[in-house]
Amino acid sequence: MKNAGRLLAQLAIVAAMFLFWEMAVRTGLANARIVPPPSEVLPRAITMLGDPVVLHNLWITSAQVMLAFVLVAPIGVAIGLLLGESDYFGRAFKPFFFFVASVPKSVFLPVFILAFGIGFTQKVAFGMFQAIFVLVISAIAAAESVSPDYLKMARAYGASRRQIYVDIYLPAMLPVIVEGLRLGMIFNITGVLFAEMYVSRAGLGHLVSTWGMSFQMVNLFAGILLAASLSIAVNELLRWYENRVGAWRG
Amino acid sequence: MAGLSVVEAEQTAVSAGAGLRVENVTHVFETGAESLMALNGVSLEVEAETFYGIVGPSGCGKSSLLLMMAGLLQPSEGRIAIGDETVSKPLPEDIGVVFQESSLLPWKTARENVEFPLYLRGVDRRVRERAALEMLELVGLGEFANRRPHELSGGMKQRVAIARGFCQNPDILLMDEPFAALDEQTRMTLGDELLHLWDRNKKTVVFVTHSLTEAVYLCDKVAVMSARPGEILDIVDIDLPRPRTYDMMATEKFGRLRARIWELIRRTQQK
Repeated sequence: MKNAGRLLAQLAIVAAMFLFWEMAVRTGLANARIVPPPSEVLPRAITMLGDPVVLHNLWITSAQVMLAFVLVAPIGVAIGLLLGESDYFGRAFKPFFFFVASVPKSVFLPVFILAFGIGFTQKVAFGMFQAIFVLVISAIAAAESVSPDYLKMARAYGASRRQIYVDIYLPAMLPVIVEGLRLGMIFNITGVLFAEMYVSRAGLGHLVSTWGMSFQMVNLFAGILLAASLSIAVNELLRWYENRVGAWRG
Repeated sequence: MAGLSVVEAEQTAVSAGAGLRVENVTHVFETGAESLMALNGVSLEVEAETFYGIVGPSGCGKSSLLLMMAGLLQPSEGRIAIGDETVSKPLPEDIGVVFQESSLLPWKTARENVEFPLYLRGVDRRVRERAALEMLELVGLGEFANRRPHELSGGMKQRVAIARGFCQNPDILLMDEPFAALDEQTRMTLGDELLHLWDRNKKTVVFVTHSLTEAVYLCDKVAVMSARPGEILDIVDIDLPRPRTYDMMATEKFGRLRARIWELIRRTQQK
């Protein structure tokens, strides 16, 4: 009941935002030539989902995002756990990761274009590059979040090495790792879309960028809406899983 | 305790009602170039089924001593033995350990935490669940069996930790300042409950604390340690009758015993 009430309030806020947007355009508060009203944008976004050209590009973007994620997630998590657990590697390489992580990754895009050309491979590589730092850093945090008290207790009760990994490390780290995967996914999507908008021949980012430059404002806003919905859906799915494995964090 | 006997049958304890001997134990921490002596020539004879207290100022090495008894830390010199067997690694079937509250696994329920030592040993699921539930009943947490630690109060968490220590029915129970994080009222209640459990299921208990009242109230003997390097200053016999009751705290004898321990500690702090 309480949840239902909250959901209703949240829906009302979203509805109010769209209403405000509509009113702002109609009253002339917003320039209708630059900002089309939602009464035009929303139907366009829905028709787009039946447009084979849009669907094809949406598929390309999704495929790139998924491939980049599947490739980068195990690499990032493995590097992070190694750095978090091993004193030697940790001290040697952790600072390097933190330094590079603070550099805006977008400045490296031209290098990726020179190295991989323009296309599928380059966009996947750039998505991976965007995501890897947050993955590594959160996996380091996950490894370091395992309390030595748990290990001491488990050892006192005779836990084998395998039991310590499976019954202590894994459940203790899982919520933090999933949180890292979620953040990595956000960076990954950002990377792929940014690469598509900068220079490319296909993908949702390419469409949005073209619509913007050719002044097709309704298409542009509908495209933004699609990109936003896609990211929100992926993010919420991972967040749901994160809450499930981390319910014990209270 | 009917529930424990199931588990007991699978145990191969060193001997029924084992005691613990600390023989001339010295412990030196090596921290790079420097070495720090934490314990110096400590000897204790903890007889079977006694409630043995260790008190001393912070940093006197009493917790290190307990870790050594648990087989988690090796003495630099000397040895610790149960019967004839030297404790060189954890002996989970003979020794249970109760740490501070942070050692409960937060992703496990109270019941799963209590049965964890049995789970590690591969005890059948139904057997260990029943043993854990009975233990939780005994510490008054039967209805909280499926709660996770973040849903429990500090006192309840420590009851779970004590239940975990008792659940696999070891001969020796090591307790490292188990009530340190609790408020005084909870601490007194839990002390009483612990004595009650111990009375029904006698074990050799080694209880590290920095509360003098707690030490006198709970223990048969109290070893008093000096500041670093930790040495045994004296071993005070607490010849108060059992069962212990609160009104004993108001007696002159209780006060004398407490004052004696305090005097020993105070003198070393002045040095």
